[in-house]
Amino acid sequence: MSVEDEKIEKARSPFSEAFEMFRRNHAAVAGLIMLILIILAGIFGPMVYAGDPFEMVWAPFSPPGQEGYLLGTDYLGRDLVSMLLHGARVSIAIGLSAALITVLIGITVGAVAGFYGGLVEEALMRFTEFFQVLPTLLFSMVIVALFGASLPMITFAIGVVSWPAVARITRAEFLRIRELEYVTASRASGVSNGKLIFGVILPNALPPIIVQAALMVGSAILFEAGLSFLGLTDPNVVSWGQIIGSNRQYILDASYTVTIPGVAIFVTVLAISLVGDGLNDALNPKLRQR
Amino acid sequence: MKDELLLKVDNLSVRFAVKRGGGWRKKSYLYAVDDVSFEVERGKTLAIVGESGSGKTTTALAVARLVPAFQGSVDLEGEDFLTLEGDKLRQARAKVQFIFQDPYSSLNPRLRAEAIVREPLDSLGLAEVDEKRAIVDRLFKAVGLRPEQQRLFPHQFSGGQRQRIGIARALATQPELIICDEPVSALDVAVQAQILNLLRRLQEEFSLTYLFISHDLGVVQHMCDSIAVMYMGKIVEQADRLSLFNNPLHPYTVALLSAVPSVDKKRRKATRRVLIPGDPPDPVDPPAGCRFANRCPVAQPRCSESEPPLRDVKGGHRVACHLVDESAKSPMS
Amino acid sequence: MTALLKVENLRIELTTRDGVAPVIDDLSFEMNAGETMSFVGESGCGKSMTALGIMGLLPEKVGRVASGTILFDGEDLTRVSDARMREIRGNDISMIFQEPMTSLNPVYTVGEQIAEVLRRHQGLGQRAAWEKAIALLDAVRIPNPRSRVADYPHQMSGGQRQRVMIAIALACEPKILIADEPTTALDVTVQAQIFDLLRDLGRETGTAIILITHDMGAVAEMAERMIVMYAGRKAEEGPVDQVINHPRHPYTKGLISCVPHLMANLSEERPELTEVGGIVPGLREFGRDACLFASRCDMVNDKCRNARPPEVAFKGNQASACWFAEKV
Repeated sequence: MSVEDEKIEKARSPFSEAFEMFRRNHAAVAGLIMLILIILAGIFGPMVYAGDPFEMVWAPFSPPGQEGYLLGTDYLGRDLVSMLLHGARVSIAIGLSAALITVLIGITVGAVAGFYGGLVEEALMRFTEFFQVLPTLLFSMVIVALFGASLPMITFAIGVVSWPAVARITRAEFLRIRELEYVTASRASGVSNGKLIFGVILPNALPPIIVQAALMVGSAILFEAGLSFLGLTDPNVVSWGQIIGSNRQYILDASYTVTIPGVAIFVTVLAISLVGDGLNDALNPKLRQR
Repeated sequence: MKDELLLKVDNLSVRFAVKRGGGWRKKSYLYAVDDVSFEVERGKTLAIVGESGSGKTTTALAVARLVPAFQGSVDLEGEDFLTLEGDKLRQARAKVQFIFQDPYSSLNPRLRAEAIVREPLDSLGLAEVDEKRAIVDRLFKAVGLRPEQQRLFPHQFSGGQRQRIGIARALATQPELIICDEPVSALDVAVQAQILNLLRRLQEEFSLTYLFISHDLGVVQHMCDSIAVMYMGKIVEQADRLSLFNNPLHPYTVALLSAVPSVDKKRRKATRRVLIPGDPPDPVDPPAGCRFANRCPVAQPRCSESEPPLRDVKGGHRVACHLVDESAKSPMS
Repeated sequence: MTALLKVENLRIELTTRDGVAPVIDDLSFEMNAGETMSFVGESGCGKSMTALGIMGLLPEKVGRVASGTILFDGEDLTRVSDARMREIRGNDISMIFQEPMTSLNPVYTVGEQIAEVLRRHQGLGQRAAWEKAIALLDAVRIPNPRSRVADYPHQMSGGQRQRVMIAIALACEPKILIADEPTTALDVTVQAQIFDLLRDLGRETGTAIILITHDMGAVAEMAERMIVMYAGRKAEEGPVDQVINHPRHPYTKGLISCVPHLMANLSEERPELTEVGGIVPGLREFGRDACLFASRCDMVNDKCRNARPPEVAFKGNQASACWFAEKV
């Protein structure tokens, strides 16, 4: 006996609506396509170019397109296509895992601070600020220099210096959402604190965190490139930053050896930013109402 | 059954720490609820009315143990709800449920309607899976929603329908006491009637007891059996429905009632508009005497010297005013 | 006497995702100088849109006046230039809003905000504008105006802020003041103060007031004439007492009887409230050739669903757009 007769709507979840919004954003879709292509290249490229990318295959400094090598060779005569494809894997893997570390630390700290408030919040936020005021590049260089330039350590260093932004966003969202009536309603029905944090508040706090995490992948790739450029990298693994770093002395003589991996980084980070922006618009309820 | 007490609140106070002027100065406290006592009989409705800052919502939240009380007790069927822990607390929680003001923020946007209604059953561990489904079905019907709407998300409902979901959620645990905090004030006028009628119907059907918080005296008049009027954290007057509306005693109540615009021409002619000037005093540092003294049109010197106690003047009609005597006549008349 | 404001066949269209919807559909009314008129209805019925249309403040790119005229003092506001509209706005027609918390700029003192209007529209000097601001604060009954004039908005209570808004709106002695739900965010006792103030100021300055509200009680207390809006159309119009005593449109009737009112003498009886089932139709429905109230009306028949009812005039300037207006 409903008095409010309307058409029965399909039961669409908030996320499917966000997806709809995202699909309408052409730049974001273009970014997503680029990103998928890059990831596919990172996955399947090394299978095609199965050899060791560090192997010398031809005379050094042969320019792109000539003598059978699509992107030419670097100062040690290594095939740039092979290096680029193998490097894609590493760069993206570092980007993703560093972002994951960032998000895990950030959400935990931010959620606990925002939910409990009071002294807990004070302490955690001072702790966060401590990490925030450290010069990030310098700090990560110290970590890598102290504990060795292995991939996991580089990833860890990037994660450890970039989580404060996520923690602050998470805390702000928690502060806002914990005052909403549906959280009070859950408390009135006896929901435990753990469930409140992770089951009720966190899912509603996710949209801005997802956006931040997406952008974090891009900045982690850049970060890794920066560290590699400075020589702080695992010499046994090829990454885009490392290609630039090792070729940097020849930038004037063979600029393509630096430009090509640079463009790869640029395109990847741009694609991630476009996707992040699209997510931001799609997950922002205020924009959705238009 | 008559006159059986369900809820007895004694000397309830809630205070919040406020920082003044920043820095390291000493904390001061705002007593949002200050020494409030009242009782609600089973199956009846007590309304708490007051304006913003009167402490009516904080009182409701404290009774439901959603904000910590600073002192006092909330006696629910002979047990002090405020001191319970563990399993006993869980059982008691099931007996006290809440209906919220804002249907747009009181439902978790990530959950489907059925999950929202089921949440209290889930977290209080009250029923088996099949049983829960049957309960949710019944509740949807009871509040006038269609079964197929169970799969929808909150944003697919109108304000009135959302409030119905909120009511269904409150009914899920078969509570004794339902606290309604301004349940219709965020709704369009025409929808308000639907919800008010529904609440009354449900009260009869499930013999519910309501603690009804509202600022709208028209709505309160329609819903309640007795009323407590709050001003700045204190109850200033308390009486059954007819005595309070037909013979208000406290000058604040008189002013409040006279301020309500009415479509009834007779009432407009009969009521002299009593305007109370100014604003309430600083709640962090309330005046020594009667808290209404600085705005009261009939205040006398003693009003700002000593605080009038809430006392019974005539058959359960209680008022906190120095100027009301045994004849139970308002100083305003 | 010619009308101060004469709106004829006004149609305002809003572009939405689903197409163009007439949020105001063929609205005509007249208003005399010094009169208080009220627009009533639920949210989404076009009350505020009418006000924004008169003020020339329709949401840019989305809303536009599609046809009809708004004659103010003989000038058609739908045709005047933007510059002229800016001159009229705040000077001849001004408006106060529901949210006194957000309609003042928090970084300027209230005095500066009042004086700014006076300088812009009336060319007053710095000093003169400041003095007039103090006088205006006094006129809206803010105690100690000379010291309060330098306060920032956050130092004032909600009621005081709404008074400041009224002071700004009345600064240039407008001919029309549009009050859009001016007391919805305020307590009843403060609402009583604001209504009192508006009534007295209206009487003193001869300003005509358009009061937009959903509260029938407020209409009864404040206005002389009322227009009931439903789904962008005028459902009923007439003198307030007459309409309340004998509404000629089922929607008006529903709006009055669905709210529990305080009555002169309360009795034990509490009849069930009349429900107006359902909700206002979505914008997609607007503009259909039918009575848009049909889905919620208990007098409905096929005629209502298939043709828009014409306006039926009654004695004493009452009019109702209902096929069964005589029977209501």
